[in-house]
Amino acid sequence: MVKTKTLTIIEFALSAVIFVLGLIGCCALHSYVKHHGETKKLKKRSKLLLALTIIAAWFFIGTAVTSVWHGESGLKVEFEMFSDRVELFGFSFAQTSVLMWVITGIVLVLCLIFRLFIFPRFDPDKPKGFQNIMELAVEATENFTKGTVGDYSGTLAPYMFSLAVFMIICAASELLGFRPPTSDLIVTLAMGLMTFALINYYGIRKKGIGGRIKSLAKPTPVIFPMKILSDVAVPVSLACRLFGNMIGGMIVMELLKSVLGGYAAGIPAVAGLYFNLFHPLIQTYIFVILSLTFINEAIE
Amino acid sequence: MTAIGAGIAMLAALGAGLGMGIATGKAAEAVARQPEASGKINAILLLGCALAESTAIYAFVVALILAAK
Repeated sequence: MVKTKTLTIIEFALSAVIFVLGLIGCCALHSYVKHHGETKKLKKRSKLLLALTIIAAWFFIGTAVTSVWHGESGLKVEFEMFSDRVELFGFSFAQTSVLMWVITGIVLVLCLIFRLFIFPRFDPDKPKGFQNIMELAVEATENFTKGTVGDYSGTLAPYMFSLAVFMIICAASELLGFRPPTSDLIVTLAMGLMTFALINYYGIRKKGIGGRIKSLAKPTPVIFPMKILSDVAVPVSLACRLFGNMIGGMIVMELLKSVLGGYAAGIPAVAGLYFNLFHPLIQTYIFVILSLTFINEAIE
Repeated sequence: MTAIGAGIAMLAALGAGLGMGIATGKAAEAVARQPEASGKINAILLLGCALAESTAIYAFVVALILAAK
């Protein structure tokens, strides 16, 4: 459907008028309620008026944006398996890995600031404010790790905590309009390979190289090749799971934005609450708990 | 043709949906029977759902590889 110019102008003017009238009505109703008390009918009407005003404001913003910015209409989502490349210092890097370095740098600087300026001011006897939050997070991670891998939680808990922080910040970078690093198969595969290395490191540390190989042929020696295969599949499955979930959320958000076009004011924020906040948190939890479970399996 | 192939690949979501539905139903039964164990049941349910979901995710990745050409 092609919109004519007059139709756009009529929509713009109508929504503006309704918006202004609705605002004035809301203010008038508010002052009326303040002087004369509230009835049930009045409450319902003020809610209706507020909803009407918000819808008018949404139309107003949408028309204004579409008249200024001529985006391509219709369903057209361009999607690539691997991200765009950028030229830096004569080398070609994936955009996601550059963003990953930036995030790592930010996290490192924040760590230094916390360690040098904020932590010395903490009072171990009387925790308050920000210290409570930090203690809660660290304690929860430590208990969680200790419940799964037992004695090795001393070295594993900090790793899992930093992994979780990194993944959450990566997912949050999508809110700024970047392609999140965790939606690149290479980054997630690197994280899966780190888990693979940890599994083998702790397995060998606990049982020795001979014991580790023997534990792969535990019930019968026939099962040995299958066990090798399932061990190799662990990093691949971890990487594919994270990648698929992250890119699925990204594609849904892109589709939503392309459908709404210039009218995408406010609605993607509600959907983003699920796809950019809740979903990455669940995925972080699953990545951490699966890593810990596989490590526990190796040291048992 | 690749679009049809990607669509067929997503049929794997059927199994994942069935599996997650059964797991969630059983978890609801377990919580109804023993409400004080809901924390442990929740953790197990999340882990099981993640594992059941992974087949659908593999299918999704395969579909993406087919469709993103």
